[in-house]
Amino acid sequence: MTLLRRGAPDEGLLDLLEESGRNAERAGRLLSEMLAGFPERSDLARDVLLCEQEGDRITHDIMHRLHASGARPAFDRGEVHALATALDDIVDYTEETADTFGLYGIEAPMEQSEQLADVLVRAAAAVASALGTLRSGGELAAHLVEIHELENEGDRLSRDAIASLFTGGVDPMVVIRWKDIFESLEQAIDSCETVAHILEGIALRNGRRGR
Amino acid sequence: MLGHSVVRDSADGPPPLMSAQQGPIRLAVIDSDSGFVRVLVKRLEGVGWEHRTLTSPPRVEDLLAMRLNALVLDLALLGPRAWEYLERVCTSLPGLGVVVCTGQSTVAQRVRGLRLGADDWISKPCHPEEVVARVEAVVRRRKRASARVDTGPMVAGELEIRTDQFQAFAAGHSADLTRREFELLHLLADGQGQVLQREEIYQRVWGYAMARGDRSVDVFVRKVRHKLERHSPDWLYIHTHFGIGYRFQPELKDGAAIESGERLADAALEEPAAAEDPPARVSRP
Repeated sequence: MTLLRRGAPDEGLLDLLEESGRNAERAGRLLSEMLAGFPERSDLARDVLLCEQEGDRITHDIMHRLHASGARPAFDRGEVHALATALDDIVDYTEETADTFGLYGIEAPMEQSEQLADVLVRAAAAVASALGTLRSGGELAAHLVEIHELENEGDRLSRDAIASLFTGGVDPMVVIRWKDIFESLEQAIDSCETVAHILEGIALRNGRRGR
Repeated sequence: MLGHSVVRDSADGPPPLMSAQQGPIRLAVIDSDSGFVRVLVKRLEGVGWEHRTLTSPPRVEDLLAMRLNALVLDLALLGPRAWEYLERVCTSLPGLGVVVCTGQSTVAQRVRGLRLGADDWISKPCHPEEVVARVEAVVRRRKRASARVDTGPMVAGELEIRTDQFQAFAAGHSADLTRREFELLHLLADGQGQVLQREEIYQRVWGYAMARGDRSVDVFVRKVRHKLERHSPDWLYIHTHFGIGYRFQPELKDGAAIESGERLADAALEEPAAAEDPPARVSRP
């Protein structure tokens, strides 16, 4: 499966989409690093917040470019709009997770949160690679399969983690805090799959199936 | 797991380990007589005790996690398992004051209950004020006994653990431990060189069952180690047993184990040591 454009490539738009992908990947890595070194590295939540603000800026630029330009874009406007929004969601949920640690006064991480953050990093890296095929027209299917598999893994980890909170005798406050964190991590990973679905739609709309 | 319960925990979380209890009395009432429980709870709220009412007997581990001072138990609720349960509770939780409050009983039954470990026996019908007074008396007696046992600091290497100040001193300097850090260190040091599992540490210090994957114990051990190392850098106090938990044993970092009495505080030198005993690591003057 490849992403072939129907018009002349808008290099500026492609730059922004790729930048958005790299930003999502960076946010995921920062969160993963923060959890691995928590609580000593809790300061990284600030860097994740900066990523979130950068993500908003990139999304705004994409929208502006998409609608301000009179030229017919290479891809459907609606699809690019959805793509930019989904990319922004990855960073938003990542930032929400990092912020919750401070907000809820988390004292120590849970192993499952580190595992989910690792899945998020890999999924975001796969998203960034998949976005690169917009420009290169390279093979997309392998990236989509990887993202899908990672989303399944994230789903399994998240369900297992939430179930573990409801075993007998766990502090109800721990349950409340960590259920929220596991869910926001899962949503960040789900957003990666949303990006994959949109990219797949773009590829199919352009009438080219993968090898 | 637990039956209907009413919890009135303070906003700052559960109090410290039983021996260090200083706040209001924490009481559990195991009784299915709703009328009696309602009247008793009203009285408990009046005196400001933290209480929990249960209509079915919890596991002993759950009672441990509640970190109670006292338990009021209606044996009639337990049926044929009553004696076994009472014995298990009294044996497993020696620091817990147990007051049996049940219906009509024979002299033989009351004697049996007290011999199995109950601290007091009240026959229903009874006035809630009397129940409160008897629980208070049981807790008071236990606190006195505990105070006699806990006198004096625990000394290990360059470390002095003072339960009266909720603080540890490394080479004479305060380690500035938070309450939870202190409880963790005190629990480990009290283990007399035994490996304590993470789950057990969490349950004893945090007062709840540990959720799978929770790294709170690891993080707090790291914090305690760091604080002790600031003033006692040559000593290793808390040892990691990977995949299991932690063990407290003071050792010099060059690997030389400390012989009995060596470098311990003068008071600790009075600690008697039988010839076949292992070297004393932790001592109380």
